[in-house]
Amino acid sequence: MAAGLCPGRALLSRRGGALWALLGTARGRAAGPETHFGFQNVSEAERREKIYQVFENVAEKYDVMNDSMSLGIHRVWKDILVHKMNPSPGTLLVDVAGGTGDIAFRFLNYVRSVRERQLQQKLRHHQNLSWQEISKSYQEEKSNPLGDSQVVVCDINKEMLKAGKKRAQHLGYSEVVAVHAEKKHECFTIADANRSGLSWVLGNAEELPFDDDKFDVYTIAFGIRNVTRIDLALQEAYRVLKPGGRFLCLEFSHVSNPLLSRLYDLYSFQVIPVLGEVIAGDWKSYQYLVESIRRFPPQEELKAMIEDAGFLKVDYQNLNSGIVAIHSGFKL
Amino acid sequence: MAAAAAGSLRRAGWRLWRGRAGLRCQLYAPQQGFRASAALRRASEEQRKEPPSPSSQQQFDPQQADPRPEQEAWSPGPSYTGQDGQESQDYESEEQLQHRILTAALEFVPEHGWTAEAIAEGAKTLGLSAAAAGMFHSDGSELILHFVSQCNSKLSDLLEEEQKLVQLGEAEKKPTNQFLRDAVEARLRMVIPYIEKWPQAVSILLLPHNIPSSLNLLTSMIDDIWHYAGDQSTDFNWYTRRAVLTGIYNTTELVMMQDTSPDFEDTWRFLENRVADAMNMSSAAQQITNLTGLNQRR
Repeated sequence: MAAGLCPGRALLSRRGGALWALLGTARGRAAGPETHFGFQNVSEAERREKIYQVFENVAEKYDVMNDSMSLGIHRVWKDILVHKMNPSPGTLLVDVAGGTGDIAFRFLNYVRSVRERQLQQKLRHHQNLSWQEISKSYQEEKSNPLGDSQVVVCDINKEMLKAGKKRAQHLGYSEVVAVHAEKKHECFTIADANRSGLSWVLGNAEELPFDDDKFDVYTIAFGIRNVTRIDLALQEAYRVLKPGGRFLCLEFSHVSNPLLSRLYDLYSFQVIPVLGEVIAGDWKSYQYLVESIRRFPPQEELKAMIEDAGFLKVDYQNLNSGIVAIHSGFKL
Repeated sequence: MAAAAAGSLRRAGWRLWRGRAGLRCQLYAPQQGFRASAALRRASEEQRKEPPSPSSQQQFDPQQADPRPEQEAWSPGPSYTGQDGQESQDYESEEQLQHRILTAALEFVPEHGWTAEAIAEGAKTLGLSAAAAGMFHSDGSELILHFVSQCNSKLSDLLEEEQKLVQLGEAEKKPTNQFLRDAVEARLRMVIPYIEKWPQAVSILLLPHNIPSSLNLLTSMIDDIWHYAGDQSTDFNWYTRRAVLTGIYNTTELVMMQDTSPDFEDTWRFLENRVADAMNMSSAAQQITNLTGLNQRR
């Protein structure tokens, strides 16, 4: 792996990891099959627990850390994701592991501007409108600025959702509705959603609390890495999407360019945990972050997994030559 | 770890089985039950025979009784989603579904233009989510190329019909200029329902990334017309004839786009004049070569 370039801390954690593995296997045989947590080997139940704790700790400073670690480039990545989605008004989006709502807010902005343009075009095409008709169309614009588009932000972690709701209020995407639907089939219906087009749901990506065939687009941005059973999450994605629906996954991936890969490793293992300690006071969580990136399957393998879940026309687009990749698939 | 190994084995196994289009999921009896493809419908009535695709499937081909489209991943996959498992069904491929979506999208073009919105509306009429329009390029170029190739095939069929009639003796063979005029007119008439948005289409077809495909379609159409007109030249005439007809076609199309006369009479008159010019030009060229003694054939 990045053995030559991550001396110091990483090695320490790996040695600690060996110890953990011993303890883990002794303790965790009943708690599910072996999996990984960063460079450590743990049981599945333990992994879920640890990841929950990681995000509980980072929730407050999540956005600040994103900006500092990626030098603000993560905003561009998320913008590219929403542009690729190209949603039209009336789209129902579910943003899983959407935590602090980055994708959801971008989606709402995009849809709002598309809707405005649509209404303007309609006005322009109709010559000789009476004043009543013109004012009616303005009213329509005011009463339905999103064109019935909805986004549901689903996350497993309460702290992240809380941070997201606070941010939404602060930025003006008001009228939030909180729904707890932890078990499957305890369903959240679109009727529960509201005029702001935004809803927050507590739920597990491996077992979504939604009906079948419901959403137009399913996105998961920088979240699928933290899911313990990726195949289950992909199956759930397939289930909740309508026929013709689209699956989009934005995630850190494998850099093939050797020079860039070395620089990236250097930056990841030397700089990011330090930033984590300085800004958020939490070294271990950010160590976990960079390790989990290395453990995540590369582009082609993820593409195969998505195809296995039943998606067609699966494709990926590398951003920044592989640091981040967007995978897209359709339920046809 | 065991789960991952099992997963990768399953994937490898599935790829092998994908070639065996007939035997499906009898081997995989998943606990979650089968789920047929949401939108790819059975294409047992499909006449078209798609060319067989990659080599891994070639070896299984002889075992198939009936021709079926064999594109990559044309039916969803392995353990979690499978088919009914009752009998071997023909499912259409992704390509065919895309064609269906584009065909359905054509009726929304007068309203939305050649854009992703028209494609989204088309997908909605087929019962798919509007997000399916994401399969295509966002500038609508695939829609236009689909339309153009559809028109070209219609033209080919039309010309073939006419040729059959001539061969059976039921119709007279038309002189070349008449033939060319009728062919170009028939082809341009197909554009009339979309004439409002046609300038947009032409401009999109001229974008650099579309030029190879649009040029391809144009040249094959012109070639078709000359073929049915009975052109059997094997010398440089082959090129000049096609170049001239391409010029005639393109200029007539441009005239048509800003023609406001009833039923485009002005356009057809323009076309008549250009074809007559072309004929004159070729006979004039021949006369000149005769005079100057350059013509080898006496």
